[in-house]
Amino acid sequence: MTTPILSVSNAVKRYGDVHALDHVSQDIADGEFLTLLGPSGSGKTTLLSAIAGFITLDEGRIALRDTDITRQPPEHRDFGMVFQGYALFPTMTVRDNVAFPLKVRKRPAAEIRARVDECLDLVQMGQYADRMPSQLSGGQQQRVALARALSFHPQVLLLDEPLSALDKKLRADLQWELKALHDRLGVTFIYVTHDQEEALSMSDRIVILKDGKIQQDGKPGELYNRPVNSFVADFLGKSNFIDVTVTGAEGDLLHCEAKGASFPAIASENGPRSGQARAALRPERLRLAAPGEEFLPARVRQVSYLGERCQVIVTHDTLGDLLVSCPTWKTDITPAPDLPVSIGWDRDACVLLAPE
Amino acid sequence: MMPVSPFRIFFQTGAWMVTAFLVLPLLVVIPVSLTDTSYIGLPKEHLSLQHYANYFASPDWLKATWTSIWIGTIVATCATVLGTSFAIGCWFLSDRASAIARWVLITPILVPPVVQSLGFYRFWVKLGLIDTSTGVILAHTLLALPYVSISVFAALANLDRNIPRAARSLGASVRQTVMAVIVPAARPGMLTGFVFAFIVSFDEIVGVLFITVRRVTTLPKQIWEGIQDNIDPTIASVATLLVILTLIVTAIGALRRS
Repeated sequence: MTTPILSVSNAVKRYGDVHALDHVSQDIADGEFLTLLGPSGSGKTTLLSAIAGFITLDEGRIALRDTDITRQPPEHRDFGMVFQGYALFPTMTVRDNVAFPLKVRKRPAAEIRARVDECLDLVQMGQYADRMPSQLSGGQQQRVALARALSFHPQVLLLDEPLSALDKKLRADLQWELKALHDRLGVTFIYVTHDQEEALSMSDRIVILKDGKIQQDGKPGELYNRPVNSFVADFLGKSNFIDVTVTGAEGDLLHCEAKGASFPAIASENGPRSGQARAALRPERLRLAAPGEEFLPARVRQVSYLGERCQVIVTHDTLGDLLVSCPTWKTDITPAPDLPVSIGWDRDACVLLAPE
Repeated sequence: MMPVSPFRIFFQTGAWMVTAFLVLPLLVVIPVSLTDTSYIGLPKEHLSLQHYANYFASPDWLKATWTSIWIGTIVATCATVLGTSFAIGCWFLSDRASAIARWVLITPILVPPVVQSLGFYRFWVKLGLIDTSTGVILAHTLLALPYVSISVFAALANLDRNIPRAARSLGASVRQTVMAVIVPAARPGMLTGFVFAFIVSFDEIVGVLFITVRRVTTLPKQIWEGIQDNIDPTIASVATLLVILTLIVTAIGALRRS
């Protein structure tokens, strides 16, 4: 990796006895779309606020390229920021909102005008330049906020759950747009969300936080297919958990036994390679077939039809309930309660987790 | 035809009675102000504008009016500046201390005026502010402050807490943030507060009676003395003028809003 644009090292922030950030270190590459993902109280917003300069760290250091900015006030950092509640200035028109960062930087009027038009066009809000924010819908307001945060060519754009207040369909549209905007501008995006779908769909890299600690970071696919612990496996997508005993190893593939069933599993980074462990299995990796066709017999308990997919809970005699997610357009069997079936999965579907 | 419910009759009658109770004492000053007699009473033989003429010809009345106006304006300005700064500061902090400070600041509304005026009197004697305009301005500013801060608080109540953060991340200093973003949002509250503060000062009598002697006379004090010394119907003309002025200002306000 080249020199990171932003580097957080050993960040600690305490609120009373609670560690909002517990020795967090992270390097962010120039031009990266990085998502901080976690449930509420995980420290993701605290980390973003520290990067923005709204809170001061108790310990640790934040550097922009080679400059230490740990104690720099937010207005000197040159980071654009987009908020969940849009935070547009209610007494200014759309145009004046977008011009604000340029006006405080005392740019010439002609340049401001041209740049504001350019930014509003970028987010397709050109025709609304003379409206007041209160006359716009939520999605439109967020576009204006985005134009405002980009108008002064910030080094980094910080986004604090920018889509959470919008309805589902609009959220999906704006995800595509944000991603396209990022690819087009090449600005580093640091995006905070609790929504795993948002994180998976847009990010170059995801950092998963819990209780102020980084649980895992990596590309969306890596995190999804190779979760290191049960928190990650459960927070990012759904997982079935099976307690197993490791009986042998063959490269990265471990032989596992669980209450009469034996199957292979993949070792995760820093994960256990012997003894008792817990394995995670994605519902969509499970195959549902007629009795005898796959290696584990089971019985359907409950079915939930979701249109493109179908969620099925099957019961195995010793392993208990397992969630299976199968496409509805390609089925050999039609699952119904009490139907005897068999289940199976590929050799690389099961991942052995490290204890949390 | 719809049958009229007894409830409706009851509430309508009640509403009209309350209105009459509120308005009639105000209206009675109008005929009194037009009396042709030289004492307070209803017109005997014809209507007369002599007491209005008397008001405009009397240096005492005009001086008192002018005193009230300029003191009121200074009080409103001071109270607006101080009350707005206070409200914006509290809005920024929005912690427990600022919540307590808000309660402390509205105590002038809660304490009985006589008690407060006594306090002013004792204190102003020590400070040598008795019978000075400065003394009156200080006292009135204190009384008017809560009205300004309450209306500015109301104006800021719905302002997004992230707005100052947004402004700072966009490159504005704290000062620029306050001046360019927070103050404009507070402006409707400041305007309301200014008007209230002016009215509080213009209307105030108890404090003025305690802390002034001869040199400073405001309009309410002049009216009060007018009733004490002689029963001069000029008081009624002044009152009528004030009622008309208030109506005009209220009407302009109402029209602008609609």
